[in-house]
Amino acid sequence: MDITSLFAQFLSGLTYGTILFLVAAGLSLIFGVMNILNFAHAALWLMGAYFSWTFWSLMQGNSFAFWLSIPLAGFAAAAVGWLIEVVLIKRIYKRELYEQLLITYSLALILSDTIKLTWGVTNKLVVRPEMIQKPVFIFGAPLDSYFLFVIAAGAVVATGLWWFLKYTRYGHIVKAAVFSREMVGALGIPIPRIFTWVFTLGIFLAGFAGGIQVPIGSVTLGMDTAIIIQAFCVVVIGGFGSLLGTLVGSLIVGEVMSFTILFWPEGAMVLIFIITAAILIVRPWGLFGTPMRT
Amino acid sequence: MSDTGANILEISRLSKSFGKYTVLTDVSYNLPKGEIAAIIGPNGAGKTTFFNLITGYHKVDGGTVRFQGREITDWPRHRIARAGISRAFQVSNIYPRLTTYENVRQAILAQQKRTLDIFTPANGLARQNTLELLELTGLLPNRDAVAGILSQGDKKKLELALALAGKPEMLLLDEPTAGMSSEETHETMELVKRLNAQIGLTILFTEHDISVIFGYARKLSVLYQGVLIAEGTPDEVRRNEEAQRCYLGEDI
Amino acid sequence: MKNRYLFAVILFLLAIVLPFVVTEFWVHVLTEILILALFAASFNMIFGYMGQLSFGHAAYYGVGAYTTGLLMVKANVPMLVCLPLSMFSAGLCAAVLGYFCVKLRGIYFAILTMAFGQLVYYIIFQWYSFTGGDNGLQGIVPPDFLGRAANPYYFFTLIVVTVGLIALWIISESPFGYTMRAIRDNAERTEFIGINVQRYMHLNFIIAAVFAGLAGALWGPFNRSVAPDLTNWQHSGMPVFMTVIGGPFSFLGPLFGSAIYTFLMALVTSFTEYWPLVSGVIIILVVLLMPGGLLGLLNEKFPSLMRKVTGAGETNGQGRQEL
Repeated sequence: MDITSLFAQFLSGLTYGTILFLVAAGLSLIFGVMNILNFAHAALWLMGAYFSWTFWSLMQGNSFAFWLSIPLAGFAAAAVGWLIEVVLIKRIYKRELYEQLLITYSLALILSDTIKLTWGVTNKLVVRPEMIQKPVFIFGAPLDSYFLFVIAAGAVVATGLWWFLKYTRYGHIVKAAVFSREMVGALGIPIPRIFTWVFTLGIFLAGFAGGIQVPIGSVTLGMDTAIIIQAFCVVVIGGFGSLLGTLVGSLIVGEVMSFTILFWPEGAMVLIFIITAAILIVRPWGLFGTPMRT
Repeated sequence: MSDTGANILEISRLSKSFGKYTVLTDVSYNLPKGEIAAIIGPNGAGKTTFFNLITGYHKVDGGTVRFQGREITDWPRHRIARAGISRAFQVSNIYPRLTTYENVRQAILAQQKRTLDIFTPANGLARQNTLELLELTGLLPNRDAVAGILSQGDKKKLELALALAGKPEMLLLDEPTAGMSSEETHETMELVKRLNAQIGLTILFTEHDISVIFGYARKLSVLYQGVLIAEGTPDEVRRNEEAQRCYLGEDI
Repeated sequence: MKNRYLFAVILFLLAIVLPFVVTEFWVHVLTEILILALFAASFNMIFGYMGQLSFGHAAYYGVGAYTTGLLMVKANVPMLVCLPLSMFSAGLCAAVLGYFCVKLRGIYFAILTMAFGQLVYYIIFQWYSFTGGDNGLQGIVPPDFLGRAANPYYFFTLIVVTVGLIALWIISESPFGYTMRAIRDNAERTEFIGINVQRYMHLNFIIAAVFAGLAGALWGPFNRSVAPDLTNWQHSGMPVFMTVIGGPFSFLGPLFGSAIYTFLMALVTSFTEYWPLVSGVIIILVVLLMPGGLLGLLNEKFPSLMRKVTGAGETNGQGRQEL
């Protein structure tokens, strides 16, 4: 295994990690603020992927179709997410844990079938524009040029979220809500409205991640079941409600997957689960989460 | 080397902090066997934390706890309970969804070490003992009520029943008469006094009710901001200047 | 006293009579209902009685199924011997995994059980040489004395499941069972009456897994094959669904839930492939509108009748009485 191949592996892991980050960031945010584990998160990611394909197909004449379809997918998914929050999630804020889990779990089932009904069972493919059809070489290692965009997009989103949480008023409210919902409510800030916007933002991220995913391969049914578990692992490892934690967690998972596949392909997911279980046992709130949250 | 035969509880330089907030500092305390003792102090003085450390609810930061000559400082809670220390909580810590009868029976079955039994129907077990304990603590009329809906006073009685079910050598009572009418208070404290006289049960309690303290405690200690500032018989403590200063404005 | 078990006896008699009045297809469905009822009832030992949500219970179900499948296909071990061996292997698995799970509570317990469930899934899935991986194991055939028709295997399942349910009932009504309720209601207090809560939770976890393993063992010969899917998180969701639909507040809840769920699934899948959609909607409606499940609803509307008939007191589950 020479340096170039290792580096290629590293970049591939970085890309996968970025996608995971985009999916898990919303999941982590929603759990951190609302204390709800959104089982349907990956289904909405998949829906975003399909939305992106639809937008791309509709805008065929436009030279920016490819690039525009990605953020549009985010907005479309966010609209669905907003609807879900207002109609369903609002009713389960104060419900028991098992009720919340069952509701989001059922939502995942419903959304999966909705996707099937709307888009059918055939794979969807998007054609890349000229400039990202050939690989790019970094230190001699070939890298799918689209991956560069993915990593860059991930960096931009991460930076944007960080800036939002650290420097804007709304961001401060969100951060405070992760620590204590009651306090934020007591300060006169309407909690339900915050929840709606946090949920919508989280789903926007998922939809956006879905849009980004499409050009990497194709979009098929069932992709969500694989990624939801990985996203859970990311959030557990990194810590619920922590942006840094999600970033670190997704990079860890991405790279572990990427490198384990080299020498023990069957074991990649097994290793991830062992790490996740270990974190849950030793430090349940994750690497960067807040201990009070038990 | 102290005479461990006389003291059932020996606490040496107990300290506890929560983050930057120091609750107890170098508290040393000896409790003779068969004594009825009380600890008083304003809210936040550390009384409940003191109990928590003895019963293993929290880990100590420093110091040791010896019970009947054995060091129990780092023992897990259930082991301490089995060793003979029972506790009634300040905020009633009962089984809200079980009936009063089932509450008490559960504690009795635990004491009888029958809780690993997976074959016998629980309904027929420990009837005699459960009914006796219910009667002793005045809970017999309420025995089929779901515990969550009992009155404050009855919940406190249930607390006491749960603590007594463990057949303890030492009983820690955290504000045992809070929320009780004067009649219930008298009933409860007389029961405690009787148990002390009849079976030699050592009692250590905290209270805010001055009449209870002076009516029943034979030894009194004052805890103030995590430090024991006075100790002796209730009369001695009443005359103690420092205790008076700390209770400025309060009538002891 | 007589009234308490009357309802159960009626159900049992009904179960004996039904196969003679319905088609073979529905006898298959009934068999499935029984197997899943045992699975769901074992889950309820952790959920309804101990108060924790396990989202990875299918791992033990699958381990039981694979143990029987592997022994029968690869070593020609008679099925009757396989059943207790499946219970043992499921219990062993739970002994290891459960040790860690019971160190956590609430959402973390749920996630860890789910992670372990997925771990088991992936191990079975990837270990191609031993388990057949994605293809699963085919050709698991019930022993000759049960023949090929649906009825004999149904009655065999009925006997095994009834014995299993009776065992679970006895355990739930024993001092151990009440200790589980105590742990559910107030784990802290239970420590203070001298009980090592973690150890007890661990034991209950193992017991629940043992009976899930038994249910899984029945599934293999019934379905003639086993696949890794039996251990995935969708399968882990099934007992949760069933218990919630039937009512988590009493012992018979999971049984009713299994009947309703399995029946609906058989019905719906016969004319549409969108069962996930339908089941998702049903669950959402049940959770939002009927939090006590079917039995909870009946308890509300006909309390005196229910008390006479089922004898299952309100203290048997996560009660909703206003405190």
